[in-house]
Amino acid sequence: MHEQTRAYLRGRFGDYYRRTGLSPPPDASEREWGYVPWTEGPGETMVRHRSLLDLGELGEFLARERPKHVYFSAGRYDDPGASTMSGKGWRSSDLVFDLDADHLPSVVLGEDSYATMLAKCKDALERLLDFLDDDFGFEDLTVVFSGGRGYHVHVRDETVRGLDSDARREVVDYVRGIGLEFDHLVDEETVDGEAGRVSPATNRYLPAEGGWGARVHERLLELAEAVREQDEETAIETLSAYDDIGERRARAMYNIAGDRFEEIERGNISAHTAFEQVAEQVAAVTVAEENAPIDEPVTTDTNRLIRLPGSLHGGSGLAVVRIERADLDAFDPLVDAVPETFVGHDIAVDVTDPGAVELNGEAFDLDEGVQQLPEYLGVFLMARGRAEKAQE
Amino acid sequence: MAIEPLHARYPFLGAARRAVDEAGVDLAQVVASEEAVVERGLERVETAVAEREVGDPHRRTRVELLSYPVARVLVSLVDERVLTRACARAEAATAHERFTEEFATTAEYKSTASGRLTLADLLAEFDLTAAVRETPDGYRVEVGAYLDLAADQWGDEWRLVNRALADGEVRVGDDELLELLRQAVRHRVEEGLPLSVPDPVATELDDEVDRIRETLAELELTREIDTVVPELFPPCMKHLLDRVQKGDHLEHHSRFAIASFLTSIGMTTDDIVDLFEVNPGFGEEATRYQVDHIRGKTSPTEYSPPSCATMQSYGDCVNMDDICEDVIDQSHPLNYYEHRLDESDEDDLVDWRESEDAGA
Ligand code: SF4
Repeated sequence: MHEQTRAYLRGRFGDYYRRTGLSPPPDASEREWGYVPWTEGPGETMVRHRSLLDLGELGEFLARERPKHVYFSAGRYDDPGASTMSGKGWRSSDLVFDLDADHLPSVVLGEDSYATMLAKCKDALERLLDFLDDDFGFEDLTVVFSGGRGYHVHVRDETVRGLDSDARREVVDYVRGIGLEFDHLVDEETVDGEAGRVSPATNRYLPAEGGWGARVHERLLELAEAVREQDEETAIETLSAYDDIGERRARAMYNIAGDRFEEIERGNISAHTAFEQVAEQVAAVTVAEENAPIDEPVTTDTNRLIRLPGSLHGGSGLAVVRIERADLDAFDPLVDAVPETFVGHDIAVDVTDPGAVELNGEAFDLDEGVQQLPEYLGVFLMARGRAEKAQE
Repeated sequence: MAIEPLHARYPFLGAARRAVDEAGVDLAQVVASEEAVVERGLERVETAVAEREVGDPHRRTRVELLSYPVARVLVSLVDERVLTRACARAEAATAHERFTEEFATTAEYKSTASGRLTLADLLAEFDLTAAVRETPDGYRVEVGAYLDLAADQWGDEWRLVNRALADGEVRVGDDELLELLRQAVRHRVEEGLPLSVPDPVATELDDEVDRIRETLAELELTREIDTVVPELFPPCMKHLLDRVQKGDHLEHHSRFAIASFLTSIGMTTDDIVDLFEVNPGFGEEATRYQVDHIRGKTSPTEYSPPSCATMQSYGDCVNMDDICEDVIDQSHPLNYYEHRLDESDEDDLVDWRESEDAGA
C-alpha cells in the first residue's frame, strides 16, 4: 500500500469517526482495548493491553488516532490495562461466537464471490442463532457483521459469564455437533411385559423436547410422514436408499409408518430395528446439515479481543455493524455496512487488481488503471489492496 | 454454633467451617497437641490416594471434623497437583456416598429431623437453588450451572451435545443430579488450595508431609512425560508435525492439537518454534503467539490436548494403527505416546532436544 493511499484511508477513517456516534459495549472500562495503527510495510502490530483510562473517551480517541482496526476484550478484568493476563485479574467473559467464511465447509474459496460467501455465512448464522435462542435460551445476544468475512455473536447472559475455557468448549461442540453419540441421545424406558410375555421390554426414544435428539427426531418424523404419503413401491425405494435397508426391512418400516405412526411421533425407535438403523443415519445427516461451523478458539478463549461494533474494518473499509434482530432478515452486508460517509461522491483511484465487485447495491466490472469511482468503492478496493490512491 | 455430627460428616459445608471458627479452634495448637486429629488428617490424605475415598470416620466428632482442615493443610504443604486432585476427588466421593444414602432414607421417613442434610440444603450450599428445578421425570439444570459441574465429568453421556437441552435447561436424572453435586463438592474442596501455611504449623507437620511424599513417589503419581521422541508419536501427531514442517497451512483445530500435544510432553515455546521452523514460510511470530496461548501464558486456562474422539470428529485422526485400536482403545494420543515410551528401552531413546537437529 502506497503512502498516499494509507494517508488517505487514515484521514477518511478519521472523518467517519468524527461523524459517527459509537456506543461502547457494556462495562467498557473493565475491558482490555487494542488497535492496529496504519503503519508502513506488510506486517501489522497490535497495540494492546490498554484500558479506557489509557485511551480516553472512546469517540475522541478514535477520531484522533484513526486506527486501522479496533478491538475490545470479551473478558472483564480488575485491571484491564495490566500488561500480562495474570496481572489483569480476570472477572468474567462474554461468550463470543465467530462465523468466518474462511472456515465454512460450504464455501469454495477462490470460486465463491464475496457476496456468495457472506450469504453462506448468514445461513450459518441463522443456524447458530437457532441453537442460541431455542436450545440455550440466551437472552442477551448481540449480532454483529464483522466488516470482513463473517458475523460475530456476543452473549452476555449472567449465567455464562463465569464459564471457563473447558465449559466453553462444550458449547462449541454442541453447536458444531462434535462428539455426538447416537446412543446417548436416546432415552430408554422399561415397559411392562405384555400379557403372556415374561420379561419387560425396553423401548428406546428420541427425546422430542430438545437438543440434537429432537432435531434428529424431527427429521425422522418428516421422513416417516413422506413415506406414509407415498405408494408402497416408491416408499420402499425411498427407504432402501439407506445403508443396510433391504426390501424386506423397508417394507416393515413402511407398514409401521402407516399403522403405528403415533409411536414414531412419540420418538419411539424400537418399533423395528430398521428404524434405529435409519435414525442413526438420519442423525449423521442432521449434524452435517444443521451444525453451525463456528471458529472454536474465539469461543474458548476467555481473553479474546473482538472487533468493536461501529468501528471500521481496515481490510475492507466496511463498518462493523450491530444488527437488530428484527432487521437481520433484510440485512445485506454489502449495502448496510457501507459507511454513509463514503457515499455520494467520486474519487480518483488506480485499480491494480481489476474484476467484478458488487457493493452498495451496484455491480461493477472494473478495468485496470486510473479512474473516477464512487468513494465507498475506492475505499473498499484500497483497503483490500486492489487499488492505490491516484492524484485527483 | 456447636460442633454437630452433621459437620463432621460434611466438613466442607459453610456451617462446618463456621462451627470450627466459633469454637475458637487454633490450628497451630491442634497440630501441636492433638495427635488424633493429625493422625486422622494424614489418614484422610493417604486413603484418598490409595482408595479414592477418605476412610472411616473417627468416633469423636471433634476429631473427625478438625481432621478435614488438617488434611487441607497437608495437601497444601506437599503442593502436588495430583495429590490435590486425588484428595478433592476422594472427599467428594465420600460425601456423595453419604448424601446419597441420607437422601434415600430421608425420603423414606419423610422426616425433617434436625441433624440431617436434605437435597435442598445441599443445593443452597452451592448456590444452585435457582438453577435446579424438579420435574416429573427428574430435574432441569440451568445450562451454565450444568457446564460448570459437568465439563470435567468423564463419559460421553455428560457431554452437552448428547443432552436434551431446551430453553437453557438440561434434563438430568435423579442420580445424575447427585453426580453433579459430587462435582460441586470436589470444586469446593479444591477451592483455595494450596493454602499458605504459617511456618510453626508447617514444622509440626514435617513428618506427615514426608510420609505423603513417599507414598506418592511409590505410586509414581507425579510422573509427567518429559521426553520428546518424535518417532514414537501417535500417527495423528506425526502426520500433523509432518504437515507443519512441510509448511502446509493447518486449520485452527489441527494447530491446536499438535501444539497442545507438544506442550503436554514438556516442550517449551522455544522448543516448539524450533521444531516447527523447518520451513521459513511458517511465521515464527504467529507460531509463538499460538503456542504461548495454548501454553496458557496469555490465558488463565491451560489447554489439554484433544482426545481421540475429538481428533476424530475434526478429521485429525489419521493412519490409526494397532496400538490405537487395541492398546489405548482410541482414548487419547497421550496414552499412545506414553505406551510407546513405556515399551521402549530408556537408554535407546534420544530426546529430540538433545539431538543435533534441535535449535539448528
Ligand atoms: S486413534 Fe487416537 S492416537 Fe490413534 S491416530 Fe487416532 S487420534 Fe491419534
